[in-house]
Amino acid sequence: MDSKSKRTTSSDLSAILEGLIKADVKFILVGGLAAVVQGAPMTTLDVDIVHDRSAENIAKLFNFLKSINATYRRPDDKIIEPKADDFSGLKHALFTTRLGPLDVLAVIEEGKTYEDLFNHTVEIEFRGHTIHVLDLETLINLKKASNNPKHKQQLPVLEETLRQLEEG
Amino acid sequence: MAEKKGIKNSSGVDRGLFTMFLKMSPEERLLANDNAVRAILELRNGFKKQKDNKLGSERNT
Repeated sequence: MDSKSKRTTSSDLSAILEGLIKADVKFILVGGLAAVVQGAPMTTLDVDIVHDRSAENIAKLFNFLKSINATYRRPDDKIIEPKADDFSGLKHALFTTRLGPLDVLAVIEEGKTYEDLFNHTVEIEFRGHTIHVLDLETLINLKKASNNPKHKQQLPVLEETLRQLEEG
Repeated sequence: MAEKKGIKNSSGVDRGLFTMFLKMSPEERLLANDNAVRAILELRNGFKKQKDNKLGSERNT
């Protein structure tokens, strides 16, 4: 595959999720898509996940990333492919893939890892499988603590979604 | 744009949109997002193409 075709992306964020499930990767869906699946009327252009950093899971994640032609998302045209040991530390890895953008995060706000977040997830049925999604209340709390102005802008939408869900 | 009085809360969010989205299943919401993303990318590509064409025709004149 030449470098140009490799960087040409479509966008099918559901297919990224389905691929992660089929590859048996342990992850928590966070970020905008976590809010979307819980009913927040917003649009997001990428998938954000926090992964379990066990060696077995990293191997599965790495193989999945290779299968969807993941390369690091960069402002220049340099093509940099991931390596398996990129995922054992606490770094963020932001990718372009043939299915759309995928952000693989070892930690999110306040240094929270997969283990820290797992008890703050809801299980959501998706294409016959269960995915773990960061619950709205935690998403709101993390965005409140964030210094990112984009996160602050999303707060009214997330808070109204939570309010309506609690009202039933 | 005319303000949609009565259907927005104090933060200016459209409550009807929430009700509509909350009626969907998580899978339907993901598909709605996918469709929105595709539409956004298509529009962005169209905008980029138009800009490139304009630049090209300016260079040719």
